[in-house]
Amino acid sequence: MAETHSLQDLQQPGVSSKVFVQRDYSSGTICKFQTKFPSDLESRLDKQQFEETIQTLNNLYAEAEKLGGKSYLEGCLACLTAYTIFLCMETHYEKVLKKITRYIKDQNEKIYAPRGLLLTDPIERGLRVVEITIFEDRSVGSGR
Amino acid sequence: MPGFSSGGVGGGVGGPASAPPRSFRPSRYVPVSAAALFLVGSTSLFFCFTCPWLSDFFSAVIPIYIAVIFLFTLANFCMATFMDPGVFPRAEEDEDKEDDFRAPLYKTVEIKGIQVRMKWCSTCRFYRPPRCSHCSVCDNCVEDFDHHCPWVNNCIGRRNYRYFFLFLISLTTHIIDVFGFGLVYVLHHRQQLDTPHAAVTMAVMCVAGLFFVPVAGLTGFHMVLVARGRTTNEQVTGKFRGGVNPFTNGCMRNISHVLCSSQAPRYVGRLRSPKSVEIQPPFLIPALTEAQLEAKVLDNGIQNDRHSARSKSSLDQIESQSADAEPPPPPKPEMRYPGLPRADTEESSLLTEAPPTPSMYKYRPAYNSPGRNHTALTHPNKMIRVESLDSPSPSIVHSSRQPSYRSEPSSLDGTTVVGGGVGARRGVGERGEGPGGPGGTTGGVLGGMSGYSLTGRSYTSYPSSLVLSMGGSHSSSMRSAHAAHNPLATLQSEGTTDTSYKSLANQTPRNGSLSYDSLLTPSESPEFESAAHELSPHKPHAPFPSVNRTGQLEMVSPSSPLQGYMSPFLSAQLAQQREGQLLQGSATFSSPHRAYLRAVSPPPSSAGLPEAQYLLQHNQDSSSRGPRNPSSSSPGARSLEPPVSPPPRGLSLGKSQTYIGETGPQHKPRPAGGGSVLGGAGAGGGQQAPQFTSRPVLANHTTSKPGGGVKKVTGVGGTTYEISV
Repeated sequence: MAETHSLQDLQQPGVSSKVFVQRDYSSGTICKFQTKFPSDLESRLDKQQFEETIQTLNNLYAEAEKLGGKSYLEGCLACLTAYTIFLCMETHYEKVLKKITRYIKDQNEKIYAPRGLLLTDPIERGLRVVEITIFEDRSVGSGR
Repeated sequence: MPGFSSGGVGGGVGGPASAPPRSFRPSRYVPVSAAALFLVGSTSLFFCFTCPWLSDFFSAVIPIYIAVIFLFTLANFCMATFMDPGVFPRAEEDEDKEDDFRAPLYKTVEIKGIQVRMKWCSTCRFYRPPRCSHCSVCDNCVEDFDHHCPWVNNCIGRRNYRYFFLFLISLTTHIIDVFGFGLVYVLHHRQQLDTPHAAVTMAVMCVAGLFFVPVAGLTGFHMVLVARGRTTNEQVTGKFRGGVNPFTNGCMRNISHVLCSSQAPRYVGRLRSPKSVEIQPPFLIPALTEAQLEAKVLDNGIQNDRHSARSKSSLDQIESQSADAEPPPPPKPEMRYPGLPRADTEESSLLTEAPPTPSMYKYRPAYNSPGRNHTALTHPNKMIRVESLDSPSPSIVHSSRQPSYRSEPSSLDGTTVVGGGVGARRGVGERGEGPGGPGGTTGGVLGGMSGYSLTGRSYTSYPSSLVLSMGGSHSSSMRSAHAAHNPLATLQSEGTTDTSYKSLANQTPRNGSLSYDSLLTPSESPEFESAAHELSPHKPHAPFPSVNRTGQLEMVSPSSPLQGYMSPFLSAQLAQQREGQLLQGSATFSSPHRAYLRAVSPPPSSAGLPEAQYLLQHNQDSSSRGPRNPSSSSPGARSLEPPVSPPPRGLSLGKSQTYIGETGPQHKPRPAGGGSVLGGAGAGGGQQAPQFTSRPVLANHTTSKPGGGVKKVTGVGGTTYEISV
């Protein structure tokens, strides 16, 4: 017996709209995103959840940009090796960025995808916006 | 080399979001090749001819030490040359969908209490983050843009500033070492100066000595910048002349930020992680709270409608003419410079029927024919009006007048958008950018509102001041593409234009690169001069062909503001003052543009002054000597305050107020009058008044004010930068 699937089920849901969470520049040019809950997400997501996600992202970026002993040592080492160290070693910022990518993936899997949303890593947009894609909710019309 | 940029010629026109065609310009590689050649060549000669004797006579440590310094210099040179300065990738199409047509040219954000303007970049399709600027040479927006350095043929931005700075320091050290040890050699071989070794050593010493002055000057300049937490762009455009820099964290922190922060990541050329998340309905939906339910019931969807209504109304009006990719035609000549003396009837009609700020298009005369903007002119005005209904006009001055100038309401991205002004600002801004001389920015009068004024830091990395020159049509809040890249030449703020819309702005003329030159002579003296003449119609300045072309001095700004970057408020006030004066005289004075025009152009700098010196002088002089012109900006500003504060007295006044509000730094509290604005500005930015005095763009002495040519600006230590205008 052939298994039939409706085309709808096989397709990825269409993109209904995108919400862009802009940067919060109130403290300067450090990387920080606005925690204001976009109105478009009201029907899809809890405010709490959203704020928590953004806040965690902000904290991670703050950690990346922190001027601490680690970044200082990294700079010194780079100077001493005429910057050839960059060929082999990953910088602190990059390490944190990887952490952020993992966090976003995790959030997407656990929280956002079940709600028909998708967070895009802001680094892909030059750390200017956090893009949240809202997918169409076709569950009502699936016919199954 | 990362320094590639699409040639200004033809490079930017019609360029889509993807990389525009890049013309290969060998001339761009001349300075960097020369620099590399001198560095490597001279040092090699030194090692071959002088070092053997030095190691014999003194010790082997000397050549080793010199070698280490040389390698360090070379490494930093290579990093500065080849490293991505922090280029922002172009925004994807869906990102600015909501912002299209009616989106204001500027968005304001508050940074540590200071209003900073973010300009819409029509090439990159996003609002430039603070401190970001679009380099016309590289055709990219660069984060924390410092300047485009011809000697490394690359932009200096966030990622490679450290290497550039270390390169300067190490190069200065290296030059001193080479010169010093060469001198020691020569002094010990006084009797054998005819030997090839001695001759070569002396030649190397000459080269070293020759380069020492400019390099050391530049090093000193950058040391000051690092300590103050400013970029070259900000310094030369006089953004923080009043002394309030929201980006500084104190001297020690600034230095450690430059030297010790972790290497910032690259934005372009990153591997995109594959989307591994599957999204399938059914989706979870959060439970609504009771309050939410109630709100929904009562809402009637009005809120949502607002969003769409706003755009649609204007969109409808604008659609017909702005939907196409072509730049809107420039407004009729009479309408183009609302502020200029003109027949009364026209002026009054303009004033009565149109929104306060005339629409200004930033466009380059070359691209547009004069007749085309008529419709555009009126339409945007209408649109503005519609829009304004939504938002309270935050603008400082024009509360009464220009509700329309309100920029997109805060719903736009949630950023703080300071209303009215923004709308206007776009137009103004566009003007600013446009002109650059040849550009003829439409609506040139941005003048006064320097982006950099006062507290508000409206930045326009692009020479909004250039707009001044250009008559262009006033694009009502259209972000004309033309302006987009104009070189810094005039850092006039964009503030002046009234609503400029992104759509208009999206035809980008790209020209010129931000070099010291443009930075230094933002508004080109001619602008100032014209401004100085205040409204006298005869002022076309040679340097700004656009002005000539229009035949009218669009930017008539009060003399005082001419210097440097004037706070928009000040200029506005001055404008108002002037308007008052003019009203008695010519009826045509309308100034919103004027205010802006005036404001920003820095007075022509005396040629030849090294910027460092200039800076030193100026910082002292500016406060003391005030504006060059009789109406000193500071006192003028102050005196203007009273007149400004009361509601606009006349149409023209109102207009100028409007402009002022728009262009200037968008202070959150917007008092209705220029005075208050000024006060606000003062409060926010420390003392702004003196800002516009002075500032010359120091370096710009050699500027050739070309109509569309290349401006050369002499930077610190005699470095010359070319800005295509």
